[in-house]
Amino acid sequence: MSTNGQAQTSPLPLFGISMGDPASIGPEVTARAVISQEVLDICRPWVVGDVNVMRRVVQGMGLEAEVVSVEDPEPAQFNAATINVLDLANVDMSRWKPGEVNAMCGQAAFEYVRRVIELAMEGTVAATVTGPIHKESINLAGHAFGGHTEIYARYTNTDKVAMLLVEENLRVVHVSTHVSLREACDLVRKDRILDSIILLDQACKRIGIERPRLGVAGLNPHASDGGLFGHEEEREILPAVEAAQARGIQVQGPIPADTLFPKAIGGMYDGCVAMYHDQGHIPFKVVGFQWNESAGRMKSVRGVNITLGLPIIRTSVDHGTAMEIAGQYVASADAMQLAIAYAARLYRPQSGATAACA
Amino acid sequence: MIADLPILAVTPGEPAGVGPEILLKAANRVPQFRLLAVADIGLLRQTADQLDLGTRIQRWQPGESVNAGSLACLHVDLAEPATSGTLSARNGAYVLETLRQATSLVQSGQAAALVTGPVHKGIINDAGHPFSGHTEFLADLSDTPRVVMMLAAPGLRVALATTHLPLRDVADAITAEGLEKTLRIVHHDLKHRFGLSNPRIQVLGLNPHAGEGGHLGMEEIEIIEPVMEACRAMGMDLVGPVPADTAFNPPRLRDCDAVLAMYHDQGLPVLKHAGFGEAINVTLGLPFIRTSVDHGTALDIAGQGKADENSLLQALSLAQEMALHH
Repeated sequence: MSTNGQAQTSPLPLFGISMGDPASIGPEVTARAVISQEVLDICRPWVVGDVNVMRRVVQGMGLEAEVVSVEDPEPAQFNAATINVLDLANVDMSRWKPGEVNAMCGQAAFEYVRRVIELAMEGTVAATVTGPIHKESINLAGHAFGGHTEIYARYTNTDKVAMLLVEENLRVVHVSTHVSLREACDLVRKDRILDSIILLDQACKRIGIERPRLGVAGLNPHASDGGLFGHEEEREILPAVEAAQARGIQVQGPIPADTLFPKAIGGMYDGCVAMYHDQGHIPFKVVGFQWNESAGRMKSVRGVNITLGLPIIRTSVDHGTAMEIAGQYVASADAMQLAIAYAARLYRPQSGATAACA
Repeated sequence: MIADLPILAVTPGEPAGVGPEILLKAANRVPQFRLLAVADIGLLRQTADQLDLGTRIQRWQPGESVNAGSLACLHVDLAEPATSGTLSARNGAYVLETLRQATSLVQSGQAAALVTGPVHKGIINDAGHPFSGHTEFLADLSDTPRVVMMLAAPGLRVALATTHLPLRDVADAITAEGLEKTLRIVHHDLKHRFGLSNPRIQVLGLNPHAGEGGHLGMEEIEIIEPVMEACRAMGMDLVGPVPADTAFNPPRLRDCDAVLAMYHDQGLPVLKHAGFGEAINVTLGLPFIRTSVDHGTALDIAGQGKADENSLLQALSLAQEMALHH
C-alpha cells in the first residue's frame, strides 16, 4: 500500500509524534490522530512512545488499527490501519493506571520528548509534535522543567524561544510563560518584548500571512492609563514597539488586554504579544474550547502551541493531560490533528529537513 | 405599581463624552423607570434638542417627587459649556461634583441606587484631582474601608480581588485579611442584593496553573487556600483555587454564581469577549447600591447620535432589580 493511496513522487515528510504522559489522554489523541486521513495526507506520523500502552489504548477505544513497533521508519507502511511506534518500552503495565500521576509515567513522558528532539536534531524526522505531559509527574521523576518549551530550549541549545498559541484568528506569543506572576513582571523588558515581536512576525509570515498586523498587550490594567497604574508600558513596552516599527514590522501597542484580545479574535490583528501566561491563555481557551452542552463534555479542543526560535519544528496540543477523563476514551483529537497540520505548514521541503521555525 | 419602583440616581459622567446622549436614549426606552439625573440641565436639554431625542426633562429640587415618564434632573453647573468629543480640564471638578451630589442622594435615602455613566480618568487627574476610578472614589466618599468591583454579564459575574493597581503590586496586595474581607463582601452581596440563598463562588489562582502545587508561585498555598478554608468554615460555598485559563469553561461557570479573579486583566478580557452579552459594573460592599456602564467615554462618536445605550440600560435595570431585592 502506498502512503495514502496516491502515487507520490517523493515520500511525505516523516514527523515524530511523542505520545505524552502514558497515563494521560495523550496516547488516545495520538492514536486517533495518526490514523486520520487528514494527517496521513500530509505526513508519515511516527509515534515515539510505548507499544504496550498504545495497544491497550487502541483496544480500549475499539480502533481497527494495528500497533507496530518500528525501529526504522523508511520501509514502514503508514496508513489508517497501522500505528507505527518507536517503542521506548519504558512503562511497566502492572503499574500503569490511566489518570494517575506518578514518577514512572513522568520519566517515560520525559524520555519520549528527549528522543523526539534527538530525532529532529539528527534530521531523521522533519518535524516534532508533542502530546501533553504532566509537570508534576515530570518533576516527580526528577526533571525540574516547567514544561515542553523549557525542555526543548535545553536540548536544542537554544537561548531565545517563545511559545506561539494558535487558534483560528487568535495567535498569541508570550513574553514569559511558566513563572510566578511576581517573576513574570520582572521579565517584562524591552529586549524580551522586541524578541517576541520579531518571532511573532516571522512566525505569522511562515504560516502564510504576508503582512502580519500585530498588537502588543500592556502589562497593567488599562495599559496603565498613561502611567497611573505602572510604568512598564512607557519604559519597556512602548520602546520595544517603536524599535519593531523601525524594523518595518506592522505593530501597535501597548494595548489594554481587555481591548486587544477581543479585537484580535474579531480579526483586527493577525498576532498578539501577551506579557504573561494567563493574559494570553485566558482569551485563547475561551475561544478554543468548544463545549458540547448535551453531551456534557468538550466536543472540540483546538488550541495549538508552536515553539518559535528553535532549530527544529515543534508543535503541540495546548490542552493538558486531562487526567480526569483519561481511560474513558472520550478525548477529542482535534487539537492533535491541528498541531500536526501546523507542523506541516511550517515544514518547507525546499529549506531542508531541519527547516527552522523562526 | 409604577409608583413603587425605586428612584435611581444617574450621573451621565464626562460631559464631552457619550454619557448625556445614552442617558437620554435610555430614559426614552424605559419611561416607566423613575430616573433622577445629576448633571447640568442645560447640557441635557441641548443634547436632546441637537439629536432630536424628544426626552422630557424636568428640573428637580430636594423634596420633590420623581415621576416616571420624564427625566428628573438635579442641576449641577458646568464650569464651561461642553463640546462633544473635546475634553476640558475645567469641567473635571464638575464630574466629581455630580458624583458627590448623587452619592448624597442615595446616602440620604432620596434615591435607592446610584447608576454611573462613563468618566475620563485622565482629564480629572489633569484637572488636579487624583482619581483612579469610580469604585475607589465612591468608597472614599462613603468611608467604606473595602469595596469589591464586580462585572456582571447575563452569563457571567466576575468580582475582582484587586482592581486598578500595577500588576507587580498585585501579589503583595493579596493578603489573607484582605482576601477574606473580599470574599465576605461578595458572599454577602450575592445573598442580599442578588437574592441568591447559597451563592457558590469560584476563586481563581494568582499564578499560572494556580501555582501548580507551588512550582509556579506560593500564594495559592500560603494565602488563598487557607483563606478559602476559613471562609468555608463560616459556611461559604467556594470552589478553587482554579487555574484562570480553564476557569471560564462553560461547565465550570454553570456550576457557580460568581468568579473571584485576583486581578483586573484576569477577569475582564473574558467578559468583553462577545458571547456573554452586555457587561456592567457593580460595586459591592458600599452602603448603597451602585451599578455602572462598562464602557468608556467614546469621545470619537460623542454628539453624533451613534452611541449605544444598551450598557446603561442594563445598568439601570440591574440597579432597579437589586433595589427591589434589598
